Amino acid sequence: MSATVESTKGASPAAAAAGFTPELQMANMLGLCEAQMESAIQDSDKAVDALIQAFTCLVDTSRSVNALTAQLPVEIRETVGAGLNQQVEAISKQMASAVVAFQFYDKLSQRLGHVRYSLSTLALFVCDRAQTTSPDQWRRLLNTLRRLYRTEEERQIFQSVMEGIAEEGTVPIAALKEEPAGVQVGEIELF
Amino acid sequence: MSGVILAVDDSASMRQMVRFTLEGAGYKVIQANDGVEALELAKTSGADLVLTDVNMPRMDGLTLVRELRALDSYKYVPMLVLTTESGQDTKMRGKQAGATGWIVKPFNPEQLLATIARVLQ
Repeated sequence: MSATVESTKGASPAAAAAGFTPELQMANMLGLCEAQMESAIQDSDKAVDALIQAFTCLVDTSRSVNALTAQLPVEIRETVGAGLNQQVEAISKQMASAVVAFQFYDKLSQRLGHVRYSLSTLALFVCDRAQTTSPDQWRRLLNTLRRLYRTEEERQIFQSVMEGIAEEGTVPIAALKEEPAGVQVGEIELF
Repeated sequence: MSGVILAVDDSASMRQMVRFTLEGAGYKVIQANDGVEALELAKTSGADLVLTDVNMPRMDGLTLVRELRALDSYKYVPMLVLTTESGQDTKMRGKQAGATGWIVKPFNPEQLLATIARVLQ
């Protein structure tokens, strides 16, 4: 899609105006949205990488403290050991919560990647007038996007939006703004 | 706990989270970035359990499970899929490929360890 953005870069206003089509403008705007999203994801990745490095150090330190506590002479362990163990236990619990939270970022990156792909697919699609006037092609595009959304959350949003459009003719924004359900971990199934 | 676990994921942060959790419980963790790397690693260093993502470059997790199941040394090794995908179709494909179980991300460390202990019994 960046090719469409590139195609008008550096052109004189007259040349740009001559190449003006609503489809190209739409594709360029979608390209802009995608570029903004990509940049934001890259910045967040760097920040999260730094956070994970810090977390790694914390985990290692916590394990070292735990190991050192186990090596304390019995008489010292009896006096301060219980308190230390309690502290280490509390840190372990917090770390378990952090492990879950970090995974949400991973999931977020994946979902934003799907949105970026959707935007670039749509940008290519709108450039072809023959496609945009064909209901069959729109259905095909929708199926491509449906297959892209693999997490439960993505599927639910896709379904809500499609049902809203079918029933009310618009995207049901209000229905999508639900209260966050809190931290939920995924299910486990053994075959 | 003891045993060698092969963790496969193209996300470095996910591999880190898995490593923290498993090493904390006493397992040795070996890691691969995708199915191709995992297959090579599995052949050279025996793993007692494989924990793999689904969507990865070069070779996806379900193909990896199928390829490993074709090897004599991995016929009976537990293989868990750890993924954001929760669709029944994909789960069924995982089962048919030879996966032992399906874990949807994000995992809870305690639950993951309990599941691993169970399938390693």
